Amino acid sequence: MKKWRNSLLLILMAGLSVAQTGDMVQPEVRRIGDRLACLCGSCKNTVATCQMLGCHYTSPARARISAMSKAGVSDEAIVDDFVKREGKKALAAPAAEGFGLAAWLATPVVALAGLGFIGWFIRRSRKPVVSAAPAMAEADVAKYQQAAERELSRFDE
Amino acid sequence: MENIGALAIMLAFCLAIYSVVASLVGAWKKKPFLIASGERAVIAVFGLIVIATGILIYALVTSDFRYAYVAAHSNRDMPFYYKISSWWGGQEGSLLLWNFLLGAYAFVVVLQNKRKHRAMMPYVVATLMSTQVFFLILNVFPASPFQMLAQGKNIVEVQDGNGLNPLLQYWTMLIHPPVLYLGYVGFVVPFAFALGSLITRQPGDQWIFTTRRWALVTWFFQSTGILLGAGWSYAVLGWGGYWVWDPVENVSFLPWLTSTAYLHSVMMQEKKGMMKVWNIVLVAATFFLCIFGTFMTRSGIVASVHAFASSNIGTYFLVFLTMGIAFTIYMILGRLDYLKSESELESVVSRESSFLFNNLILLASCFATLWGTLFPVISEAVTGEKVSVDAPWFNRINIPIGLFLLFLTGVGPLLAWRRASSEGLRRNFQWPFVGMLALMGGLFAAGIHHIYALMTFGLCLFVTMTIAQEFWKGASAIAKKEATNVLSGMIELTHRNTRRYGGYLVHMGIVVMFIGFAGAAFNKDSTVEVEQGKSFQLGRYDLKVTSVNNGQTDNYVWQNAVIEASVDGKPYATLHPERRIYSQSQQPVGAVAIHRRLNEDLYINFAALSSEAQKPIVQVYIFPLVTWIWIGFWVLTVGTLVCLVPSKVKMTYARTEVVGMAGKHEKVAK
Repeated sequence: MKKWRNSLLLILMAGLSVAQTGDMVQPEVRRIGDRLACLCGSCKNTVATCQMLGCHYTSPARARISAMSKAGVSDEAIVDDFVKREGKKALAAPAAEGFGLAAWLATPVVALAGLGFIGWFIRRSRKPVVSAAPAMAEADVAKYQQAAERELSRFDE
Repeated sequence: MENIGALAIMLAFCLAIYSVVASLVGAWKKKPFLIASGERAVIAVFGLIVIATGILIYALVTSDFRYAYVAAHSNRDMPFYYKISSWWGGQEGSLLLWNFLLGAYAFVVVLQNKRKHRAMMPYVVATLMSTQVFFLILNVFPASPFQMLAQGKNIVEVQDGNGLNPLLQYWTMLIHPPVLYLGYVGFVVPFAFALGSLITRQPGDQWIFTTRRWALVTWFFQSTGILLGAGWSYAVLGWGGYWVWDPVENVSFLPWLTSTAYLHSVMMQEKKGMMKVWNIVLVAATFFLCIFGTFMTRSGIVASVHAFASSNIGTYFLVFLTMGIAFTIYMILGRLDYLKSESELESVVSRESSFLFNNLILLASCFATLWGTLFPVISEAVTGEKVSVDAPWFNRINIPIGLFLLFLTGVGPLLAWRRASSEGLRRNFQWPFVGMLALMGGLFAAGIHHIYALMTFGLCLFVTMTIAQEFWKGASAIAKKEATNVLSGMIELTHRNTRRYGGYLVHMGIVVMFIGFAGAAFNKDSTVEVEQGKSFQLGRYDLKVTSVNNGQTDNYVWQNAVIEASVDGKPYATLHPERRIYSQSQQPVGAVAIHRRLNEDLYINFAALSSEAQKPIVQVYIFPLVTWIWIGFWVLTVGTLVCLVPSKVKMTYARTEVVGMAGKHEKVAK
């Protein structure tokens, strides 16, 4: 029984052959593909770096990039074409426009806010410089001295 | 048997609730017997979870396919050790693992503190058991591992199970989840003590001293778990990616970043009595990020390659997180008077300031990672359109942050406490800086023009020189004074202050890892369809497929390609990349062949046979320096172990003690 099952699996393995097309990564595919997300749903790679052989998204995407590039279409136009077809999710990183700008700016803004906080913290927690000037006006000091002397003279009585 | 398992979990759930109530009422009414009873309930809870776990493992090992969980995640022909690892292969089992580890930690805490921290302990126990109640709720209600397969009213047994996901049938998966969980679950202990300290208005740093080792050990487990996961990804997924910024990877990284920040800033509290609020915030953030990570992995809120166990238990996590965070914020705000700083910052150029910057950078990285992970969800909610945030975005944001952190790793330890003089700065940094510039110039002249790689190598040398300088200065002084050699002096130096010099070794481990990361800038790869007996070339390697063979084991059938690699005409290595189909799941999986060397790994994946000519299609990769990542981990391990050894010289720091505002609060509980 097990023998039969394993023989069937070997046949299945032979059946898992793929047509070796479109998986070779040419320089222009690597350059442009690095800006495009692989949308196969099971990886977080780009069209340039996805290594799944015969990936249903990356393989045709690479072929398309290669064909368009050979036809003289610019990098920007190829990327725009993918965005037109798939929407903004075709880009591996959000475009720096509209709400996508928030993706890029949030971390620097938070880091700057943190830096500001550290600056405030340092200023707040630094040792105060001891001032040479008396903290009270001389008239006030004299007033308190008189009061103290009055109190002390009562003890003498 | 199955009823006993379910009953044990149910009883553990009830006793955990009892433990929370008894501890809180005992502390409130000042009834020691209730407090003791709450602590004993912790022991009973752990005992019951051990029973439940034992029953599940027994069912897995004996292939009892009446259990739905066993049938879904195991099969008869799986090796014994993978049957055991099926315990955490699915949702219900991995939650039971959480409960098991949490119960074990709580058990140890109760035993360790039988006579210590009596004022704090009821609240520590209540916190630990509240978390336990939450995870037991999951195992009792939505994700019970003891559900039986049934037809009508009868329990039925299937012939064989589906088997464990083939991708998980790899040796690091035997230990990666438990180790990572030890790190995730472990931070509940420092959090419980922090909360206990807040509730009982502890003025000093008792909770810090008590949980210092817990924090370090759990941080080490987190680091190990993450590295084991990276190692698994590298060796199993077939393309050598050890980190792709997948959401599940990211959420495991978040608590590591905050706990690393905590391990640094806690020194400010120990030595100067500063940053008390901040340390509590960091411990709480680490704990809640651990819970958040579990929520993300299981809720399916973001798509992930690793979400093996996604389900609809997300709401439970959201409720727990909301309640926990709200309560913690309330407690912190209510106790600000007790968390006043005892010292002042004297200079911007000081060790204290370097810790502030270190924390800023770690938290900036934490924020960036969290933001990038959640941005697709946020963007879709705001604009209605899906966006992708993949590796290029994370690399662009996090690489500069990482490099700055590497720079601080070199600078921070050499700055003096209180105030660093310009003469001291010159003396400490002159040669490391010269070395860094010389190396970068040399590498540039040698043709390495990748800016991040150049900076990484330069900074790695900078940090190495600063650390070596520290060891050398201390060790040679001891060697001179005690008339011994420098090596003995170095051992003596380390033993005198294990935390400091162990910490340097941990930094060295990070440096070594960065060398490995920088190697990624020079990766090469090629996918080729090649006839048997014919050669092809990648980099300096000539590769020839000599044969393709078939075979089988009890668990899977395999097909491998024998590939001979030679360099300059001389034989270099013979590799056997393999393809497998697992008998039960019928899922094809590659088993790559890796020839590991210090300079580079030769990595081959036997991807398929071409459909037309039945020629082998192989994917070949050259990964320079990647082995240094794993070496860095071992250095980090040694450094952490050194940190855990008690120092020969006990460090004491004279400080004033702030006991809160007179008249506003109750008497301080000691």
